[in-house]
Amino acid sequence: MMQIRIIPLAAAVAAAFFLFQSGLTVTPLAAQESEAPRTLTPGKGVELTTSRCVICHDAQHITRAKLSRDEWAFNVKNMIERGAPITPEEVPPIVEYLATYYSRDVAPPAEETGAAAPSAEDPAQKLLTTNACIACHAVDRKLIGPGFREIAQRYQGQGGAPDQLAKKIRDGGAGVWGATPMPPHRHLADADLKLMVGWIMQQK
Amino acid sequence: MANEIEHADKKNLKSRRDFLSRVTGAGAVVAAGAGLPNLALAQAAPKPPADPAGTISNEMVKAEKVPEMQYHSDRPLTGSVSAEHHNFAVTPSNRMFVRNNLLTPDLSEANHRLTIKGLVNKELTFSVAELKKAFPAVTLQGMVECAGSGRQNFVPTASGTRWLPTGGMGCPTWTGVRLRDVLNAAGLKPNGAHVSGQGGDFGVIATAAPVIRSIPMSKAMDSDTLIAWGMNDAPLPKVHGFPLRLVTPGWVGSASIKWLHTLTVLDVPFKGTYMDSSYRVPRYPVRPGEKMPKDAVSTEAWPVKSMITHPAPNSVFKAGKSMLVEGRAWVGEGDIDRVEVSFNEGRSWQRAAINSGGDKYAWRIFSVEFVPRQQGYTTVLARATDSRGNVQPMLTSWNPLGYFWNSIHRVGFVVEA
Repeated sequence: MMQIRIIPLAAAVAAAFFLFQSGLTVTPLAAQESEAPRTLTPGKGVELTTSRCVICHDAQHITRAKLSRDEWAFNVKNMIERGAPITPEEVPPIVEYLATYYSRDVAPPAEETGAAAPSAEDPAQKLLTTNACIACHAVDRKLIGPGFREIAQRYQGQGGAPDQLAKKIRDGGAGVWGATPMPPHRHLADADLKLMVGWIMQQK
Repeated sequence: MANEIEHADKKNLKSRRDFLSRVTGAGAVVAAGAGLPNLALAQAAPKPPADPAGTISNEMVKAEKVPEMQYHSDRPLTGSVSAEHHNFAVTPSNRMFVRNNLLTPDLSEANHRLTIKGLVNKELTFSVAELKKAFPAVTLQGMVECAGSGRQNFVPTASGTRWLPTGGMGCPTWTGVRLRDVLNAAGLKPNGAHVSGQGGDFGVIATAAPVIRSIPMSKAMDSDTLIAWGMNDAPLPKVHGFPLRLVTPGWVGSASIKWLHTLTVLDVPFKGTYMDSSYRVPRYPVRPGEKMPKDAVSTEAWPVKSMITHPAPNSVFKAGKSMLVEGRAWVGEGDIDRVEVSFNEGRSWQRAAINSGGDKYAWRIFSVEFVPRQQGYTTVLARATDSRGNVQPMLTSWNPLGYFWNSIHRVGFVVEA
């Protein structure tokens, strides 16, 4: 059993917190908690962070909590131990992004435009970035999945291809391009799927 | 078509390897699915949605759960039902919480093997059938609760899965063999002091660390620590560890390794991310928001805890008419000594009846009859005390990873004239 030694400072802090919350386990009135955002806030480092983190877990693992810089650094270290493909040089910009936009202590900067995320001007490209598509797909070459150009060429001129691609993005799949599966993205709205597919089909 | 797919596989694998070496700067890494049977081909049909080869889709897992289950993340899959949906003596399998660290593997009982190695006199390997034949089977009820159960209550927000305020636990029955019988059959070397379990789950990428955690020998030799194949008199559901899992009742759920295939007897605790970075708590409370102290310890037994399973929040009762308040109380080591309830926000407390007895690590059911006199919003609080005198706190000490939330539970309901 865990031994708890109460130290005066912690006791005082605990007491302070007690003033602001019930301290009890209170079943909330609304059973359903408000859902954390499914994409990361745009800003410097968002592409890198999305592409390294959202391969294995959904973005809500980040957006659900505001943490201190130390805690984010700990989380990134922990995820590297768990197998995240992050190089030592990529650690500082990822921690910087997380500590800037998901900080417990400092409000995030007002949403940046243009410069921070150049691709974000095109709504379709913005969707491809924020949903981590670019972690596995490039335009002109294969990464984990096929390049967007290759996809466009393959499906060009096929009736029903846009619907088929939209379904593929939404439900995921495997076997068309190889064994590596495409994870499902069921949260995407039909309108967004249409935008993304339209953009992909133009890459021929 | 088959050739085309095979060809695409190879190209894809190569490009994936290139991608991973590019992003990691490391050498070649093999795709997670590549070494496994190529089930992806069979899953190319539109339904059910394809998932990584050798895994069970979230949709299939969710289809076996009650609609009341809320999911806290899809990758990895986590879900639970809150306290008012736990009003069962034995947790039904379709209400048992789900907590994966990686994907849900689709393992075959026929091909599964359990190996016992490390500091043993004789390394042993069993098929599931051999294991069932070699040792006496036992069935017992025991608590399994995620270390982060209730994390959502911590202020400020602690890092990790947003478990609901209540309910990230369950108390089903488990059927299996005692871990100690299996360890004794292998013969412990004198310096064997810890036992690690490894599960057969894997991640989206090949570099995902395997889930390995160890328990000290005292817990491994406990009569209620099992290598289980059954849950509630049925084979383990796939998401709960089919075909074999460890069950370390009363302790944090992560010690009950699912999809167990290897046990290793060690002289020191296993060193790895699931021991040294996750599932740790400070030895003493830290300032909320502070990082984990260097001398933190691994989470083991749950402290004393209780929850009110009836009434459901905001349900309506008649003034002057008797009602039954029910709940569950449990502790990871020792027993429940008493449960007290309060209907006046803790100004006064009364003893609830407890069904003492039952299996060592099973929760205790408590109940108290109450006749509401006053119309309006009424609350009930429950507070358990264990056999060592530990009582549930008003507020659980904050800790960096948000473990062991065990504050007094409070439920409000409406009394009509």
